[in-house]
Amino acid sequence: MSTNDPQQQMIRDAMQAIAQRKPGKTKLVYDKTKRTIVAVAEGSQPPRALNITADDADMFAVATLSSVWLRQNWPRLLAEGGVLCRFSSWDGGDAFTQYELGPLPSTTVVEGVISLAGPHSSYDGAVFHIDLNPIGKAVANPSEFVAPDGSAYRASGTMEHSANSIDAVFADVQPELSARRPGILETTILADKSVLFVGLGTGGAHAALELAKCGVGRFALVDRDRLSVGNVVRHPGGISQVGRLKVNVVRDLILDKNPEAKVTAHSLDLSFTSKEELRKLVAESSVVVCGTDNRQSKLLVNQLCVEANVPAIYGGAFRRAYGGQVLRVRPKVSPCHQCFVAAMPDEASNVEISSASDAADIAYSDQPVAVEPGLSLDVLPIANMVAKLALSELLQDKPSTLRVLERDYDAPWYLWLNRPEPGTPYSDWPPLSESSDEMTINRWYGIYFERDAQCPTCGEFLSGLAANYGLDLNNLDTIPGAPLVAPMAAPAEE
Amino acid sequence: MWTTEQRQRLYIDHETLQREGFTQFSVYHNQVNDIYYASGYTTSSSGRRYGLYITIPSGYPYQRPLMYVTDPLPLLMRDGSKLASLGVSHYMHTLEPSTNGMVQICHWRDARWHSGILLFKVFLKGLLWIEAYEQHLANGRNLSEFVGTMAETA
Repeated sequence: MSTNDPQQQMIRDAMQAIAQRKPGKTKLVYDKTKRTIVAVAEGSQPPRALNITADDADMFAVATLSSVWLRQNWPRLLAEGGVLCRFSSWDGGDAFTQYELGPLPSTTVVEGVISLAGPHSSYDGAVFHIDLNPIGKAVANPSEFVAPDGSAYRASGTMEHSANSIDAVFADVQPELSARRPGILETTILADKSVLFVGLGTGGAHAALELAKCGVGRFALVDRDRLSVGNVVRHPGGISQVGRLKVNVVRDLILDKNPEAKVTAHSLDLSFTSKEELRKLVAESSVVVCGTDNRQSKLLVNQLCVEANVPAIYGGAFRRAYGGQVLRVRPKVSPCHQCFVAAMPDEASNVEISSASDAADIAYSDQPVAVEPGLSLDVLPIANMVAKLALSELLQDKPSTLRVLERDYDAPWYLWLNRPEPGTPYSDWPPLSESSDEMTINRWYGIYFERDAQCPTCGEFLSGLAANYGLDLNNLDTIPGAPLVAPMAAPAEE
Repeated sequence: MWTTEQRQRLYIDHETLQREGFTQFSVYHNQVNDIYYASGYTTSSSGRRYGLYITIPSGYPYQRPLMYVTDPLPLLMRDGSKLASLGVSHYMHTLEPSTNGMVQICHWRDARWHSGILLFKVFLKGLLWIEAYEQHLANGRNLSEFVGTMAETA
């Protein structure tokens, strides 16, 4: 068959039309009888065939370049003409993502050359070559790049060894991410806000990622645990991250969603030994999200937040995550966590035993406590509510359409049930289909309770007691000194 | 080391011990090493004498204080074995003993402790524990049969 064969010409024309994503007068089909691709003119009877469309012709690999990296390295590119860069290679070479674009690269990294169009030297080891071709005027389009000097470029690429084409696009991350939020959250409205997350289990990690997607600019992450295999069925971190500190796993996941976020990771034991470090982190935060499952750490965070006048959100699942609760504390305005413990001790103690360390904290040597984690899908509604309440606090001094939520989020305590768990006060709640005005599962309830004016953390506890007993709080010298000869042996310290 | 708020709180604790009928106990300040503790001897309803000692942790009152039986030492079970050897026991309402073998009474666990609990309530639980312990000595039954795990109240 000669190269002047009309059929071959029709195939070439059709291929070109497909490559340009334009409908042509000829279409390609796979002729099942001949077992080959043939071109069929418009209007003619197709053979027993499969149509080949532009989507079928998506046969070229895609290289994604970082616009931020290009702008930063533009002087070097101008000076050297071309730069060797690292790319994550995905799916057997189907996609190449510039290494600097995000924090979670592929396990396969290759090198490619980005150069200005024109003669260029070869680079050893480069898998592909991307040329930046000047164009007249740029329009907002991922296929075009505007350099710091205002010149605009479109990229074209070639695989080094096969000479196949490679599609090249530019990713200008922050503008493209922000473009998805206008009308709800204006572009950089939360960039100056800082959220401290204490506890990065399933709920805390999920809430952190949701706020990263909303554009929160700064995160401080506190947790001492490492991601285990057992965590993976619930936690956003995956099997490939097992063994890493949860603070580092979540930091990378946040940066993979919002690369411009500033994230600090603190592997701290949530106890009184780390109180001063926590105090400093709380003072630097706009909002604190506490996702720990033990009362001691919650009350410690509560004390520090009340002291620093920083609002805090406490979220937690009930046993086996049959439900959960969220407490929002606005210091000295709404009830604090200590008020909650005093007002509703049973609810405050209803926590999920999701790990061996949680169980060990409350077990006895002669009465072990079973680990009873709930399902991720039952924890996530609670985590979502935590994120929404945190967002509402972050928007207190910002113009946003979401401020309308202030009317709805006016209660301090929020209750959610995933199922009518037997043996709980909620076991006889009516089915969803039968209730119009009764409490049911799968609904949030905002519940009011009063601040304790005599609260030891946010109230007048000491002065109230002093008044009741007729004591003067300035008269501290009445505490006796230790006897010179101790009347009894003291317990030895560890 | 101690904040004004902590010192005021310990002053309140000391005074409420005296005014709520727990005069056998007192808060003390060891000025040499700047530590606070609360202690005293008490007599059970059967006439036996016991020493109780509460260590005040640096995070008090947000951090739970620890209460030990210092006397008799060692504290024995009915079968003659050392009670401290049980460690953290639900049946005997004990927590981790001191390294010199003193039994730690489980008054509130960390999961239940909060800063609104005054020391006189802790000593009250110590007195209840001693009465239950003496019942154990009398009939060999576990303390948990006499002292239920108390429902939490404000």
